[in-house]
Amino acid sequence: MAVMRINVGPIHPSTHGVLRLVVDVDGDTIVNVEPHIGFLHRGVEKLCETRMYMQNPSYFEKLDYISPMSWDDLYVAAVEEAMGVQVKEPAQYARVVLLEFQRIANHLLWIGTLCNDIGQMFTVFMWCFRERAKVLKLLENATGGRMFYNYMRVGGLQRPLPPYFKEMALELTSYLKVKVSEYKDVLDANGVFMERLEGVGVLSRKDAINYGVTGPVLRASGVDEDVRKSHPYYIYDKLDFNVVTRSGEDSYSRYRVRYEEIFQSIRIIEQALDLMPEGDMVGQPVKLIGPPAKPDTVITRRELPKGEGLIYMVPDKQKPFRLSIRAPGFVNLAALPKMCEGAKFADLFAILGSLDIVFGETDR
Amino acid sequence: MSEQAKAIDENPFSGEQFMNAEKKMNLLVEQSLKNYKQPQPAVFTKLSEVTKGMASGIIKWGRTNSMWPLQFGLACCAIELMDFGASRIDAERKGYLLFRATPRQCDVMLVAGWVTKSMIPRIKRLYEQMASPRYVIAYGECATCGGPWWESYNIIKGVDQVIPVDVYVAGCPPRPENLFAALMKLQDKVSGKIAGNTERNLSETNRGAEGKRL
Repeated sequence: MAVMRINVGPIHPSTHGVLRLVVDVDGDTIVNVEPHIGFLHRGVEKLCETRMYMQNPSYFEKLDYISPMSWDDLYVAAVEEAMGVQVKEPAQYARVVLLEFQRIANHLLWIGTLCNDIGQMFTVFMWCFRERAKVLKLLENATGGRMFYNYMRVGGLQRPLPPYFKEMALELTSYLKVKVSEYKDVLDANGVFMERLEGVGVLSRKDAINYGVTGPVLRASGVDEDVRKSHPYYIYDKLDFNVVTRSGEDSYSRYRVRYEEIFQSIRIIEQALDLMPEGDMVGQPVKLIGPPAKPDTVITRRELPKGEGLIYMVPDKQKPFRLSIRAPGFVNLAALPKMCEGAKFADLFAILGSLDIVFGETDR
Repeated sequence: MSEQAKAIDENPFSGEQFMNAEKKMNLLVEQSLKNYKQPQPAVFTKLSEVTKGMASGIIKWGRTNSMWPLQFGLACCAIELMDFGASRIDAERKGYLLFRATPRQCDVMLVAGWVTKSMIPRIKRLYEQMASPRYVIAYGECATCGGPWWESYNIIKGVDQVIPVDVYVAGCPPRPENLFAALMKLQDKVSGKIAGNTERNLSETNRGAEGKRL
């Protein structure tokens, strides 16, 4: 049978943004997938070179609008490294707690949209948003912003956490433990869900390493790699948590890795809240940022919810001279053609959905 | 006929005048609108007016209370759009039913996010595929005026440079409650509760004859 070419997108209800896919199909089997990106390109790296250091975090939050605080933290960490500033100890604990809550919010939204993509329709989506709304409410109470927080400052935070934060966070974690464990009972017992995910979108361990994918996609292919463990930052080396890996290499494994990571995040939060010392956690005011102590290049790595994020920065006196971003979504998307080899056309979105891409950071 | 129109008539495909072909279209539309008279059927005039009056009320009521939004998210604000569709807001109680994936079944288009130059033709096509009457809400700073990307080389400064907009929602991103308020405002507009200028807003460059044609 002749190969037929199908155009998907850029406006498609399940592409998680504006992505165009050119798919070659032989009957119902995918021969080749070619992603076309750039529909959200706005030149963030170039814009950052025209702004002073602490004017930039709001640009970085809009890179990944599902987990903005992670990018906020990554950029501020790069500035801190250039300035040679140590983060205050209570602020390190507070940052870890907030970042892990952000990771939970990200994974909850991902589970909801994945279920939408593979035909579970709205039930699980509604549940996930119910839980995510509670996490966002907590972050809003702490930071003042519902979606974009702009909460990190050099050396600490914008303002101290509210006094009721610890109590509220512990209440939320106990709520999440009960509610999120309900998902597994419902989804694993669902034949459609398992059929659509098991054995679909296989990315072998060798291919995963060769394509440079990171985050849950890499860990679902059986590679035990997490920046929080391999290059610990903040207080992660003091905490007891596991890096979730699975050897299934398929979409279902990716779902399970993210699902288990929610519980690991809850473990981290509870330990960090328990150990958090009293004290000043407010960072430097925006105006008081001096010339960099380290004038050559700065490279900072962080484990974002979607994978490993990296910033390469050449600092100048008041603003970055050059800034380059490694976005996990961009690299993970490159493995899509490999994962789609020999899959059915209907599985395309089960595979794309399992990657957890967001086009703010892919197109930059 | 004005001098400009005469000049275009003489040589429509040369130099600067070729670039102004759209203006010529607008002039022709304006003139034809001036000369057009509503044809009156000789018999049954009164009866048809009565039924029309009754029907228009019913149609207006129907349109007001079943606004179907187009499922069309661009960037950050699309996440708040998802929250709007989820259980916390429960938008269905006011008649904003399912988010449809095809523009042919939709009444209102929510432009949520920044609009790049490569998205302009797609947005225009989606808008043109929607059945009339169609409404547009510019949701968030980026769709309203370009927002934080004002200095970017690839972002247009507001979606109203491309398609006419009925309601603007400010915020970065606006809360889902704000979208709910905007949709209620749009309902007021559709049902005729809001008096005043009912023409839709287009940016300075595109205002004028374009607005009438749309």
